[in-house]
Amino acid sequence: MADLGDSQLLVRFVTKQEQYAVPDSPIAIQSNVLSSDLNTLLKALLKETNPSLEKVADFDFLICGELLCTSIAEHIQEKGISTEDTLEVEYLERFPAPRPQDCLMHDDWVSAVHTQGNWILSGCYDNSIHIWSTKGQHKLSIPGHTSPVKAVSWVSVTNEQAIFVRYIGKYISLSDEHNAPAKKKSRPEQGKIREPLTTLKGHREAVSGIKWMDFNTVVSSGWDHLIKIWDCELGGLKQEIAGNKAFFDLDWSPLNNNIITASADRHIRLYDPRSTDSIVRTTYTSHNGWVQSVRWSTTKDTLFLSAGYDGQVKLWETRSPKTPLYDLSGHEDKVLCCDWSNPALLISGSCDNTLRIFKSKHALQ
Amino acid sequence: MPPYKAGLLKRKNESQESKNSNSEDKNTTSADEGEELVKGFLDDEDDAADSEPEEDEHSDGERDASHFYLLALEVLFEEHDSTLGDDEQENETSEAESSDLTDSEEVEETDEDEGDSSENEEQVSSDSGADTGMAPITTGSSDEAVRKIGGKKKVKQVTKKTQEKKKNNKTSIEIMSAKIQEDKVTAPVQQKGDEYESGDTSDEEDRTNTVGDIPMWWYNEYPHIGYTLDGERIIKPPQRDQIDEFLKKCSDPDFWRTVKDPQTGQDVVLAPSDLRLLERLRASRLPSDTHDDYEPWVEWFSREVLATPLRAFPEHKRSFLPSRSEQLAVSKLVHALKMGWTKTRKEMAAERRKKKERAFYDLWSSSATSATGGARVLPAPKRALPGHAESYNPPAEYLLDNKEMKEWDSLAETPWKRKYTFLPQKHSCLREVEAFPRFIRERFLRCLDLYLAPRAIRMRLTINAEDLVPKLPSPRDLQPFPTAEVLQFRGHTDVVRSCDFDPSGQYVVSGSEDGTLKVWESSTGRCVRTVSLGAAVTRVSWSPAAALCLVAAAAGPRALLLNVQAGAGAHRAARATDRLLAEAPPQHDTRMDERTSSCVEWEEVDATQWAHGIRISIKHFKQLAHLSWHARGDYLAATVTEGASRAVVVHQLSRRRSQLPFRRACGLVQAAVFHPRRPLLLVATQRAVRIYDLVKQELSRKLRPGAQWLSSLAVHPGGDHLLLGSYDRKLVWFDLELSARPYRTLRVHGAAVRAVAFHPRYPLFASGGDDAYLVVCHGTVYNDLLTNPLLVPLKQLAAPAAAGALRVLDLRWHPHQPWLLAAGADGTLRLYS
Repeated sequence: MADLGDSQLLVRFVTKQEQYAVPDSPIAIQSNVLSSDLNTLLKALLKETNPSLEKVADFDFLICGELLCTSIAEHIQEKGISTEDTLEVEYLERFPAPRPQDCLMHDDWVSAVHTQGNWILSGCYDNSIHIWSTKGQHKLSIPGHTSPVKAVSWVSVTNEQAIFVRYIGKYISLSDEHNAPAKKKSRPEQGKIREPLTTLKGHREAVSGIKWMDFNTVVSSGWDHLIKIWDCELGGLKQEIAGNKAFFDLDWSPLNNNIITASADRHIRLYDPRSTDSIVRTTYTSHNGWVQSVRWSTTKDTLFLSAGYDGQVKLWETRSPKTPLYDLSGHEDKVLCCDWSNPALLISGSCDNTLRIFKSKHALQ
Repeated sequence: MPPYKAGLLKRKNESQESKNSNSEDKNTTSADEGEELVKGFLDDEDDAADSEPEEDEHSDGERDASHFYLLALEVLFEEHDSTLGDDEQENETSEAESSDLTDSEEVEETDEDEGDSSENEEQVSSDSGADTGMAPITTGSSDEAVRKIGGKKKVKQVTKKTQEKKKNNKTSIEIMSAKIQEDKVTAPVQQKGDEYESGDTSDEEDRTNTVGDIPMWWYNEYPHIGYTLDGERIIKPPQRDQIDEFLKKCSDPDFWRTVKDPQTGQDVVLAPSDLRLLERLRASRLPSDTHDDYEPWVEWFSREVLATPLRAFPEHKRSFLPSRSEQLAVSKLVHALKMGWTKTRKEMAAERRKKKERAFYDLWSSSATSATGGARVLPAPKRALPGHAESYNPPAEYLLDNKEMKEWDSLAETPWKRKYTFLPQKHSCLREVEAFPRFIRERFLRCLDLYLAPRAIRMRLTINAEDLVPKLPSPRDLQPFPTAEVLQFRGHTDVVRSCDFDPSGQYVVSGSEDGTLKVWESSTGRCVRTVSLGAAVTRVSWSPAAALCLVAAAAGPRALLLNVQAGAGAHRAARATDRLLAEAPPQHDTRMDERTSSCVEWEEVDATQWAHGIRISIKHFKQLAHLSWHARGDYLAATVTEGASRAVVVHQLSRRRSQLPFRRACGLVQAAVFHPRRPLLLVATQRAVRIYDLVKQELSRKLRPGAQWLSSLAVHPGGDHLLLGSYDRKLVWFDLELSARPYRTLRVHGAAVRAVAFHPRYPLFASGGDDAYLVVCHGTVYNDLLTNPLLVPLKQLAAPAAAGALRVLDLRWHPHQPWLLAAGADGTLRLYS
């Protein structure tokens, strides 16, 4: 370790972001430098090559496909790479830290949240649904349910008229324990109860998460340790991925076509539905309690958000399985839901009756 | 007669005598005096010869006697020179004596009788009247006897008052007698003062002549014979010549018994008692005539324990304390035995026996090395040295002659009886000895021997302690099982007595001592509903019927069936449940026998209760302890505390009726549980578990777990295994197919076990109690009957905080997930995952 710390390394900086390109020549550096040291080095290089660049954000560094969190030497040793070769260090602009923007008070636990445009829809344990503006104004409160609302989703927002779903299908499926159906959600109009078009039967236990993949494909997760991908046209199962813990939530990203799941342990797991076997691609571990909710970023394929029972909301980079990018703390109790539908807003609802909104600067670009 | 007894008697006599003497002192005669004089004289003589004259002291009698004997011999064979003048004086006294002496003889006789009578007294303890009664037998005249007795008393007084006499006897007998007379008058007062006085002082005080123990012939030439205490000369009495002697011999009838005192030169007439003493000595008898050789023997010191101690003094302290010296001696011996310096007889005998025995070499002992530590070496047997017969040229006497050859031949059949194993042969030189014909054969056999029986020292088996421990799979391989606490369900204000999952595992119901029943969402810990039941809820149990939404709760004496989801949650199931329970079955169906109806009452549910979700209320005659559902959800077994024979009640929901399955009490019932598969009812009493066949209506098995007090019971979902928790910290696993004895008793808890639970799906079971930990164990059950269940303790989970002595009161597994729910005494429910 000691001699590694003293040794010299030849590194070559590469990037996929063209505006930050630097010369391709190898540079010798001490092996015990941290990513902050690399940052200053890179900034100096950038200033040399491209003096026109005025303001440069911080960078993150990828070595061997993993984000650099410790010193290079430790990272290399962990990965088991030879120090003789020239090390290729990819760098990318760091996602800026989200700033807390607002805290929306509810009367009871906030169990579900969804945003679309400038409107936030939240479901609450006091059997009501609330609509807020992104500025934090309470617009509407809709009591109507007889039991806690566990999931909400916007269907569409036209100019002034909001149409949304009081999405209690999950709730129903939770209580129907045996042939738990994944309901095709199509209840567009308020006040009218519609029968489901199709019932997808297959989960043995409660269905916990559901996501449209494309027009007629649905992915769902259940407490029976299974992720199922359904074809709605045929009403049949397309693919099944088995886990070893009950799933609490899942999300699928159209950007990278990967599924992340939250299950009844501390870990977040990344699955690739295209791979034939059900092997977990990456496991992200930082939470101290059950992870209750996960959401992909809609703009960046490598970022996602997770909320856990330890009261933490974490922003993850897929290439950094041990350390999240940011911990969005603030909640005083279990966090039940999170949402990143609006790229600028990171929203989480918790058992402390609050909905917290963090603003992401980067997403506005 | 024992000395102390004699002493007692003597004292008694003396007291009587003193009385008598007091009365008789006045009429003493001169004859008495004379007798006393003689006595006193004798005493003086005795004293001069360093002796103790008290003849009535039996203990001293022997010594006195021997002295008298010597004295008498001296007197008898000595030639005395005496003068006539003196003789007259003597005569005077002797005349006075002569009349007395007859009396005194009689006195002595009575003295003897007195001795006898004292013996009699000893036996019959008669009073002084016996003395007077006895006296006439020997003397004949009563008045004489009285006088004699008196005289005898005086003699005794004289002997005891020798101190006074010493002063008197220096000059003349008259003076002495006068003095004695004086003493007699004063004597009775001092008489009892000191009985040993005379005996103690006589040695020195009686000695009138102070010359000491010297040959008296030194004074032959002098007129005196010594000196008194005052330094005055003791003048010799007038010497008598031969004629005087002869005359005296002729005239004096007492001459034969007159002896001369060498110390004073005085003539002494021996008293009859002295004569008798001499006679007895010459006859080689004991000198004391009062001694009875044939006295009856009284065994005072016998082995019989007397009621009162024989001796008046207490046992000496020594007799109670162990002897110090003995202790030292014993400890020395013990130390020597310990160190092996000395051996007990037994050990020595054993050694001797061992020495005599033949020692066998233990060929097959397990240790490769011998007891002494060195490598085990088997010494090869030694062959006897070759003798002359084996020589190639043996002396002629070793060669077999004809007769021996004949014998040799005759023993061809039995060659081992021959004298040699070979035939001695004579060769003139070694060269002529032919080769051993069986050499090749024997060498081959030897090699074969070595080849077929290789000798190798057996190596000792090396057994590692780890190898003996059964191979248990690593807990890592037995996942999933709960490893950490994930959720706390807060809301109860008192001890949570019981909890249960709903069949889907999404809800949890809990009953607490604060009188409320709460329904929770299992994944979030949200309290969905709270129902106040009015009494402490001891047991809640969710109906296993999946289509229904029914919770049985034991609140006080009531068993309540609640539709907890009415108004919250699963509407469809709730509605179905309500429809089912709304209408009561026909009346004739619900009839119960009197015994049952006396202890169970199905109560009507009013509107407010209905609004709370209570659908059916069954009131029992006592508090409920336990409730458990049948697997199909129609029957409910309720356990009543202190119910005796009515401790177990089975309710049927569809027909709304109850049954008492047992006629007789079978102990303190802790819980009654239905078998999940078969029509069996398992009843856990304090010490045993009874399994009843509900179809045959009989006791099918009785299990004895060996625990002091069972607390909880769980049946494996497979139905063939049973887990029992007991208050004495045991966890007992029963294999019902195996035996009525426990398959295994796990001691994984440090305190009472209050709850045990089997996971319905995973091979897991958990136990909890007053311990700081819940213990999760793996318990695989195999389908084939040959493989025993595999029990592996997996994980200790931190239990809820203690409230008093209690910690965990109930444990439930999630029906599908490996999640464990514990009802804590601190008012929380905890979910472990």
